[in-house]
Amino acid sequence: MPFVLEFDNVTKEYRSFASKRRLLALDGFSLSVEAGEIFGFLGPNGAGKSTAIHLAMGFMRPTSGSGRLLGERFGHPGTRRRVGFLAESVALYHRRAQRLVQFYGALNGMRGTDLGKRAREVLEIVGLQDHANRNAGKFSRGMLQRVGLAQAIVNNPDLLILDEPTSALDPLSRVMVRELLLAARNAGKTVFLSSHLLSEVELICDRVAVLHRGRLARLGRTADLLRAGEQAEIIVRAVAAGHFEGAMARDGVVRFCVPAHTQRAALEKVWKLGGEVVSVNPLRRSLEEIFLEVTADPLSAAPKGGQ
Amino acid sequence: MKPVLLIAINFAREQRWPILTLLLWVLLLAFLGLVTDIPRQREDLLFVFKQDAVYVLAFSVFFGGSAIYNERRSRRILGVLSKAVGRQQYLSGLVLGVTLACAVYCFALGMTGSWTLGEAGFPVSRVWFLMICLVAACALAGTVALMFSTFLNPFFAAGATAMVLGLPALAGQFLGSQWGYVIPVWELGATVVNSSFSSPGTASWFPVALAAAETLAFWLLSARIFAYVDIAVAVE
Repeated sequence: MPFVLEFDNVTKEYRSFASKRRLLALDGFSLSVEAGEIFGFLGPNGAGKSTAIHLAMGFMRPTSGSGRLLGERFGHPGTRRRVGFLAESVALYHRRAQRLVQFYGALNGMRGTDLGKRAREVLEIVGLQDHANRNAGKFSRGMLQRVGLAQAIVNNPDLLILDEPTSALDPLSRVMVRELLLAARNAGKTVFLSSHLLSEVELICDRVAVLHRGRLARLGRTADLLRAGEQAEIIVRAVAAGHFEGAMARDGVVRFCVPAHTQRAALEKVWKLGGEVVSVNPLRRSLEEIFLEVTADPLSAAPKGGQ
Repeated sequence: MKPVLLIAINFAREQRWPILTLLLWVLLLAFLGLVTDIPRQREDLLFVFKQDAVYVLAFSVFFGGSAIYNERRSRRILGVLSKAVGRQQYLSGLVLGVTLACAVYCFALGMTGSWTLGEAGFPVSRVWFLMICLVAACALAGTVALMFSTFLNPFFAAGATAMVLGLPALAGQFLGSQWGYVIPVWELGATVVNSSFSSPGTASWFPVALAAAETLAFWLLSARIFAYVDIAVAVE
């Protein structure tokens, strides 16, 4: 399968000439994003997510290593015609929303009545059709983010690179963005999504990567990551709680959790003790738990998992 | 070419308030033309005309020196360069934008100057030649400032530009007039400032052509430097 976005052992170091300080934002970072997937790019603040995105967009150069965007080296202007980008903090010119979207579309080589039609269409998609003739300078943060999204999709891009696209949106608008991204994937587009909203990432992303201190700390299919370390909650009756670690007796039953792979042994132990099994429920981990686990450990910045 | 034009027009549009402020001075010239006895007050009118001309030269340095800084600080540059726009095209757009912003002003000044000074006996063709000199000087001064602004903040960019533009002029004073043509902004400015009713001067196209060539050279140099700049890094 072709990769639409590839980072190959990319290192980015920021240097301050005044204080001679150095900051390693990315450290030997490698990642490949496949065509047609929604890829979640996670990490705590300062992990290097935006740096990676800016390198991919050609806004800066890597200190070492290289990368490719849609088959071309990072920074190739022609390639960006097929890319839609939304920056973390949306900054737009103060002009009418419709004109603004047309301006960005025109920069991508679109023109004429098709551009006007498409601009109206994308403003409708992001729910701003009634504000098309209002000056974007007077928009709220959420509305600005939606105009930003409109300018990102105006050229019907093959790859969408979105840095925190829903940070300022209300729940309704978030649902709209989620549907938009799913529709893009169904249309064969690729979405590279950087977000702190882990519940959303969990819902829509096919794969996720967790970046920590400039290094890839975890990478894998979302479903696989959530399954890994899966636990089961067992509820039994007529057994003393003391037989199982962490068990709690309440309302005449005893509840305890065991790793999924030791579930059978635990059940056999219950039966051996003369107990009765009331229920066994698989417990899935949340992406938040994985994120906290990865980012809490300072030494965890080494690739694990792996599709 | 289309992205360059779009960026240029957008830049000029973004500078509409400074341009409108500058145009107030042209309005002052027009006002003086209306309320004074033009033939009798012609020296005063010429003085205001020259003053207006010098202002736009200073503004071209301001436009060029702050363009990239403002765009980076506001992070609007990311929106533009995330499209199919090369950095060279982006800079071309800014150079054209600075020139366009100054040309709009020079056109207004030329129109008002043709009317007021023309009525006072100053050759109208000479007024327009002076405006061409002024636009060429603004384009060059703005591009030099833009070049410095690719790696300096506006304050230092303006200082460095003043040095680069001023040193040849200084050398011209002490070492011989040919030194003034090394970077002919001063020469072009002097053509405007030294014009008088008694000697409107002759139209020499050499400094204009030289300024155009040097604008091109500084633009290329800017593009070369700008290609290596991390534009997403906070400018503060």
